[in-house]
Amino acid sequence: MSIFNLAFKSIRSRKTTFLLTFISIALSVMLLLSVQMIKKEANSGFMQTISGTDLIVGPKSSQIELLLYSVFHIGTPNTLMEYKSYEKIQANPDVTWAIPISLGDSHKGYKVVSTNENFFKHYSFANGKKVEFTQGKVFEDMFHVVLGHEVAKKLNYEVGDNIVLSHGDAEVSFVHHDELPFKVSGIIKPTHTPIDKTLIVTLHAMEAIHTDSHKHFMLRPNKKSQEHNEHHDEKHESAEDNEEIHDEEHHDDGHHEKEFKENISHKLAKKLKKLPRKISAVYVGIDSKSAIFGIQRKINNNTQEPLSAIIPALAVQDLWDFFDIVQITLNIISVLVVFIGLLGMLSLILMGVQHRRKEMAILRSIGATPYDIGKLIVGEAAIVCAISIGLGVAFLYVALFIVSQPLYDTYGFYLQIQPLSLQELAILALIECCAILISFIPAYQIYKRSLIDGMNTQI
Amino acid sequence: MIELNNMQFSWKETLILNIEYFKIEANEKVFIQGSSGSGKSTLLNLIAGVITPQTGDVIINNKHLSTMKSARRDNFRANHIGFIFQQFNLIPYLNLIENIILPCKFSLSRKEKALKYSKSLEEEAIRLLSNLGIKASSVLKRGVSELSIGQQQRVAIARALIGSPEIIIADEPTSALDRAHKDAFVKMLFDECEKENITLLFVSHDESLKSHFKRCISLSSINSVKPEEVE
Repeated sequence: MSIFNLAFKSIRSRKTTFLLTFISIALSVMLLLSVQMIKKEANSGFMQTISGTDLIVGPKSSQIELLLYSVFHIGTPNTLMEYKSYEKIQANPDVTWAIPISLGDSHKGYKVVSTNENFFKHYSFANGKKVEFTQGKVFEDMFHVVLGHEVAKKLNYEVGDNIVLSHGDAEVSFVHHDELPFKVSGIIKPTHTPIDKTLIVTLHAMEAIHTDSHKHFMLRPNKKSQEHNEHHDEKHESAEDNEEIHDEEHHDDGHHEKEFKENISHKLAKKLKKLPRKISAVYVGIDSKSAIFGIQRKINNNTQEPLSAIIPALAVQDLWDFFDIVQITLNIISVLVVFIGLLGMLSLILMGVQHRRKEMAILRSIGATPYDIGKLIVGEAAIVCAISIGLGVAFLYVALFIVSQPLYDTYGFYLQIQPLSLQELAILALIECCAILISFIPAYQIYKRSLIDGMNTQI
Repeated sequence: MIELNNMQFSWKETLILNIEYFKIEANEKVFIQGSSGSGKSTLLNLIAGVITPQTGDVIINNKHLSTMKSARRDNFRANHIGFIFQQFNLIPYLNLIENIILPCKFSLSRKEKALKYSKSLEEEAIRLLSNLGIKASSVLKRGVSELSIGQQQRVAIARALIGSPEIIIADEPTSALDRAHKDAFVKMLFDECEKENITLLFVSHDESLKSHFKRCISLSSINSVKPEEVE
């Protein structure tokens, strides 16, 4: 039985006494690691979301605001930019490509992005990956919609299904663009970016449904076009009295129809094929990297319309500089919690020193050196801390496992569960070293005590 | 063999022990009687080599303890001396068997000797226990705190005996036992020491145990420092 073995048995016999120490150190370890991990994962997640886009142009706003709504679909733009500005940007000879995007509508809580075919040609994420399809293809018709992976999965849509978009962001919207249903033309492979949670339609279609909801077409949906609808939505029926909304039977906006019937509204909209006057933002690709800053300056100083051009990589970095403060604060807190946990352990061991003089005398009589007895105490601290660290790591992974799905569902933040990195292992080793280091205090005490006490057991 | 020669020991400048000459031959069983505070514990610590006298010699098995370094003395003690204390002799977080074989973890020579009798240390512990009248199977897996004091003291004998050290020092081993158990305990200890040719140094304030021993010494008769002078 080595001293270490002895220490292990000693701790095992006092596991209830040390329970709180185990838990407090474990929780602090979990906190410390999760701050590290979430920061790292969030960072790479954010960085992966957009790549290859050299500038994002939007209406005059702060760069973080523009970044958040245009890339991460967080928040909504207060103002819009002219579609003409997009055309001007695209006309710039240095600009390789430009993708207009327009936000604002939703479908069952998922954001709808309207754009043009450039999106599928040029948009890339995660170091240059392009959008690919698991099913179907890019929209060919004005009223085709492409679904993000999660939208299709969660709402159980397939290529060919009909869906109705709603106005605004809310999950439950009373304004449905149901005269102009869309047909699913394709489903995108998982990207682990906000694209997974979006529906992509054409700018023309977006303009059409908005024109229509303002009754510019002066057309009402006719009953016949919807007679095959079997599903009734109570929620919608209760809103029937509202004269703004249709007086006919409402159908479930998520119902599955294999057959897409073009109605008169579709036909009219196609005939008009209007482009929107305003859009939310433009993604810009520039081949000549040296031109980026020049173009950015030019756009920012544009006198015709107040615009902001941001470099996504720098904007993301700025965002992280802000989060750094949060991270540093959390780190300080978790280091303090680790420290408190270790102090708790220290005080428990110190209390034990008095109660264990008898035990030490027995060990001395058997042949243990005072040095052995010091080692026993250090070993105990090492074991307590190691167990706590193990427990903390276990807590961490359980927590990550539990939290990762809701986090993705709510914030679209894809937390990849990964093994501990070298840096994190180094942090754990440091905590263990601290535990061993502070245990030298009681170890030295007990060492000195056992030199004085010897084998005197009548204490 | 234990030999003390012109040995003086002081603690915080107070002379506690001053023994001119005292010798216990190999295989002798000696009773040392002394009231508490007479320097008994100090004497045992000196013989064990836990502390060293300021002057004079402690010689165990012809080895001068005072010439050894402290770690060497600790190792010497582990190899040659078994101890039995008053009570709470056992490490609370080890089970019965682990307690008995603990000295073998600190002394290679005792481990080797123990393995001469049995195939494993555990088996040797069980053998010693059954010699002492403890049916191992009934208590084997129990924590030591669940044992009666009488059983605990017998386990302590087994621990002192394992690996046959040349000397066993028993420090008030019977004070927690009742009359009937006391005599049984001393007899048991005697028998085992006889079998293994172990020198026994039995220290107690209890004169009623004297009758078991051929040689009885009062500490005050060999220590020239008078008890009242000692705190």
